[in-house]
Amino acid sequence: MQRAIERRGIPTVSVTVARDVTERAKPPRALFVPFMMGHHFGVPFHRALQRRVLLAALERLELAERSGEIATLPVTWAEARRQGDAIERELGLKR
Amino acid sequence: MTDDSETAKQLRPRLWETVNERYPGSMITKVDLVPLAPLRKPLSQTRLTFVSSAGVQPRDSLPFDVVHPVGDFTFRRVPSSSTPADLEIHQIKYPTGGAARDLNVIFPVDRLSVFAADWTIGGLTPNFFSFIGYTIDPTGFERTLAEALADAVAAEGAEAVLLCPA
Repeated sequence: MQRAIERRGIPTVSVTVARDVTERAKPPRALFVPFMMGHHFGVPFHRALQRRVLLAALERLELAERSGEIATLPVTWAEARRQGDAIERELGLKR
Repeated sequence: MTDDSETAKQLRPRLWETVNERYPGSMITKVDLVPLAPLRKPLSQTRLTFVSSAGVQPRDSLPFDVVHPVGDFTFRRVPSSSTPADLEIHQIKYPTGGAARDLNVIFPVDRLSVFAADWTIGGLTPNFFSFIGYTIDPTGFERTLAEALADAVAAEGAEAVLLCPA
């Protein structure tokens, strides 16, 4: 899909949680995050993390030099979960 | 380029191999690279679209066929002005626990509209695009859905595309 769009002259970037799948599918640009499937942009209500993943992905549109590059965001799922829990407690969504 | 740190390791290991064992031939493998198309303007002037394989769709649209044996090769347009309350998920191949509470973890419509409002990007296309990524016929998928969706993205006036392969 991504390759078909790029072939039409439109720059593309994907966010992936499966580095091995991305390495084989070879999209032009990708950002890998070590998050759970279905949680590519982080955890619920953690707007800063969601924003950070998005900005890091969009940055690849400007910075990627070679097709097939997979950048990595230096985050961990455990830390994202911890921060998300704290945010949900602050919001009164979790005790 | 991989290392063993927690940052570089994927949470669900050997995904390609395990899916391919269960559904032989279903996983895409490419050997060639597609040349990079240049970003023609700064991001702050670039009209972005979002393409998701997470099965997110407007509540009033025809639900994706999540039990089709080969895969549903149709796509839906999702207005970029949608709020999470306007949307629902028809996909069974990934955990939706987070998305059920905050859709932005898989379909970041609120975050992207903020980017358009604060000129991080030049704007959003009127519609985003959505499909379900499951298929056991990747060649048919590429020949039909991928081409049709890429044409639709170009016709929508997208100048850059963010994709989220769920």
